Amino acid sequence: MTDYNIKTDSQYAVTVDEATNKLKGALLKDIQRSAYVYRVDCGGCNGCEIEIFASITPIFDAERFGIKVVSSPRHADILLYTGAVTRSMRVPALRAYHAAPDPKICVAYGACGSSGGIFHDLYSVWGGADKILPIDMYIPGCPPTPPATIFGFAIALGLLKQKIKMIAHVQEVGEQSKLLHPEIPLKLRIEIEREARRMAGYWHGKRIAETFMEIYKIDDTQKARSELIEFLKIQDDERLTEIMNRLEEVYQNWQSVQDK
Amino acid sequence: MVLKLLREVLKVGQATVPYPFVPVEVPPGFRGKPEYNPEQCIACASCTIACPPNALTMENDLEYGIRTWKIFYGRCIFCARCEEVCPTGAIRLGYDFELASFSRDDLIVQAEFELAACTECGAFFTSAKELEHVLSLLEQAGLASEDIRVRSAILRKCPECRRKIELARVKPHVHKAFRE
Repeated sequence: MTDYNIKTDSQYAVTVDEATNKLKGALLKDIQRSAYVYRVDCGGCNGCEIEIFASITPIFDAERFGIKVVSSPRHADILLYTGAVTRSMRVPALRAYHAAPDPKICVAYGACGSSGGIFHDLYSVWGGADKILPIDMYIPGCPPTPPATIFGFAIALGLLKQKIKMIAHVQEVGEQSKLLHPEIPLKLRIEIEREARRMAGYWHGKRIAETFMEIYKIDDTQKARSELIEFLKIQDDERLTEIMNRLEEVYQNWQSVQDK
Repeated sequence: MVLKLLREVLKVGQATVPYPFVPVEVPPGFRGKPEYNPEQCIACASCTIACPPNALTMENDLEYGIRTWKIFYGRCIFCARCEEVCPTGAIRLGYDFELASFSRDDLIVQAEFELAACTECGAFFTSAKELEHVLSLLEQAGLASEDIRVRSAILRKCPECRRKIELARVKPHVHKAFRE
């Protein structure tokens, strides 16, 4: 199992001297002007790039905050690192970093930029921009949606506060997990979940099965049936109706076998 | 001409979403931040096996009998496989996408659980909550209380001890069969 707690690979990482750090702190605290962004693709899948460009379209319009994507690192205040930093893109990434004037803010963008993402343990990958560069901000997501990007920039520019915090839980005395759907027999539950997953795929199947069992937890089948019809009418989705009707069939079959 | 243009502009209205100042509407089925409920978690490790990028990890401390579960949102690809495999619904993808942070540590959620010790040899072998969960599942499956008692005695032993006991039990029978 790989350890993602290693901050930087000190042997290779770029370090920042104190004076620059101080300037950078001031820049992060109070930028007070428009920020120019240079985008460094260190071997990404292009998903992050698409989302970056989506966030400067008129719908999300990052230029409202003065954020502008520039085409040379020499104009940049913010460097946006996407991709898992492949072996061959390490040097270009470093060149872009050194070309940008100090003080500059480095942002790790996307799951790959933040930590290597799904490519973190490949032989040809450094696993995240923070392994080679001093990173000031992380914008996770695979890829981050345009609102997530805008949020990242908004907290970097001091418009909003960071929301996420580290949480550490320690098991308490007498802590016990609750059984899911205790009203429904275990074997029937398995059958319903299997059928829902077969029809709708892994994640949607589970959620559909959960909704179904939430409705059918009462003993009164007639009432549950009418509730289900009401629910399907609100959802107005033919695929969902088909799947729910099939689940109902499974339920009825089970009931009739039990009655015998 | 200008008036015509102005009229057009007024008719179209504002296309830009006022997002950071007004919350944005997230579509149904959006895969946001996986929300973790440690009370419901049994530390069975199925999510850590399912997780494609190893954003979820688990470590055993066999000396002190502690199992540490950890998620690092910086590596999460929001595939929802953890939610899919979770037997107790302890992890579920929410609608939160505002994950940007200044430090790597803020992207971590971790939980520590106790390990259960084998009643025979005292070695830690599985999480205590998982064991309790399995026993209550047996109850839900409708097993007789006598049967549950027998099974729980077996389940509270580590696999190694179970094997030894089972071997000792069948040995005379095997010898007998060979002799015949």
